[in-house]
Amino acid sequence: MNIRREGDIEYRFEHPDDFRRFVQERKSRKAESKLCSAKKAVSTYVADGDYIVYDFSSLTRGPQSLIREVIRQRRKDLWIGAEFTLHESALLTGAGCATRIDVGFLGYGGYIGQAVCEGRVRVYEWTNGGLALRLLAGARGVPFLPTRDLLGSDHMSASAAKVIGDPYTGLPVAVVPALHPDVAFLHVHQADVYGDARIFGTNLFALEAAMASHRVIISAEEIVDPEEFRKDPMRTTIPYFLVDAVVHAPFGAYPGAMPARYELDLPHVDILNGIQNEEQMQAYLHENVYSVADHEEFLDKRVGAGKMSELRRKASIVEGYR
Amino acid sequence: MARTVEFTDTEFMIAQGARLLEDGKTFFVGWGIPQIVAILGQRLYVPDVIQLFEFGAVGPQSVLPFVRGTMGGPQNTYRSIQWLNMNWAFAYSASGYMDYGMLGALQIDPYGNINSTFLGGTYRNPGRRFAGSGGGNQVASHCWKTIIVIRHEGRRFVPKVDFLTSPGYLTGPGAREKAGLPAGTGPYRVVTSKALFGFDGETKRITLLAVLRGLDPDDVVKDLGFRPLMSKEIEEIPPPTPEELRLLREEIDPSRFLIRGEWMSASA
Repeated sequence: MNIRREGDIEYRFEHPDDFRRFVQERKSRKAESKLCSAKKAVSTYVADGDYIVYDFSSLTRGPQSLIREVIRQRRKDLWIGAEFTLHESALLTGAGCATRIDVGFLGYGGYIGQAVCEGRVRVYEWTNGGLALRLLAGARGVPFLPTRDLLGSDHMSASAAKVIGDPYTGLPVAVVPALHPDVAFLHVHQADVYGDARIFGTNLFALEAAMASHRVIISAEEIVDPEEFRKDPMRTTIPYFLVDAVVHAPFGAYPGAMPARYELDLPHVDILNGIQNEEQMQAYLHENVYSVADHEEFLDKRVGAGKMSELRRKASIVEGYR
Repeated sequence: MARTVEFTDTEFMIAQGARLLEDGKTFFVGWGIPQIVAILGQRLYVPDVIQLFEFGAVGPQSVLPFVRGTMGGPQNTYRSIQWLNMNWAFAYSASGYMDYGMLGALQIDPYGNINSTFLGGTYRNPGRRFAGSGGGNQVASHCWKTIIVIRHEGRRFVPKVDFLTSPGYLTGPGAREKAGLPAGTGPYRVVTSKALFGFDGETKRITLLAVLRGLDPDDVVKDLGFRPLMSKEIEEIPPPTPEELRLLREEIDPSRFLIRGEWMSASA
């Protein structure tokens, strides 16, 4: 096939046969309780050097308690697939956990931009659509998928996307390689102990990420009876056999919002937005991550019951979420 | 005697953007100012516009006031007709269902190519790094007509962008199609804090169409990094109307976090 143009850029790739073999041999189909602490989930399933994806963002339904646990356990050399990476990339970079980021959308605040300029973290430019498509390819078991964007842009030299001749028409089309992350973090409204999970509202690529990743860690606002899923299967986002660990994490998206459950904590988000330098970053990490043993202690000592009930009250829009 | 109206450059861009929307059409909304344009437009001019967000909200009608930091939360996915995800959102634009798209930008070149990734230096060693494409590349690639919103500053209008994040007409007529982008698509209007630009049908070069009431067209283009084409008739753009300003300041963004900017004035 005629490859017209390609970037000379490192990228995460695994042949579909290797991933299929992993799924056959290593992913249990058994309906058994996978409920565990965040500490156990991260220490068991997240290793140094891993590639991580997550859904949605630090402002909306992001797995923030799991991100903080990764930082607390001081994982190293992580590569993150960052569709909407708002504060996650800054925190993981500031904590010395992440060294490579597939972007996505690299917002906000001065810290992460400065880290990129100083070369403390390497970035690759796939765009949101490109990353979502890479996960779809991974979920669909194909080595790549074609798309009619990225073309003509500098993303072709800042990612490993390629332009090929469409085998049917001969016309140029962009292709992106399948992505098989090591771990997917998904924060959901409801899960059962086996890992069946429900997200209410929109998502980025929750099912694609769960299907394409080697390991899936679910954190859930609420643990519900498995029978609930059988009664209303249209509402299942993720079936249990994709899932490796289930963590019960009320306020797991904090300081972001959980649609129809609690609003984002804007003053806390402003503190994150305001982090410009190393001193501020380390102070933030000490206060909110290192100095507390786990998410429960963080909620208890750093957030507080009053703040949580205020944020719950503010989440007044429930139409469509149930 | 003509009354003078005062407004911020951001408010002027939002009002201009809202007036460009077409009722009963689909509109792919980017992050930031385009979100406010969509809300103002839907309230005042185009009640039946169908908004689409990349995170999978189809046809939402946002709750007011607009909460900054909201992207995918209940406020701006409210009263959608469908909730999906990103691959399906871009399926709507890639299959031809998105009439308009709207994007902000750091830099723009004479063919409407835009940069939102970095300024100065190289990709590996940038001078200043910004958020990058997000879904902007998909919006600019797929939508039939893309509207670009950018502050009217000379350093933003450059002969060549530092990084081509989202494609305009690339190197000129036919270049998009040759690259493999969907035929018949491309940038349509450029809204700035002083003027409105379009693109010449033959050369595909950016063309001054209109300026804010009271401004001189030559003054408006003289500090830009390149000389745009000038339309034969340069129209006059009225400043934001009292109703546009009232909605923006009292209902949409009462904290004035998003609509703040440099103050300007013009005859009402």
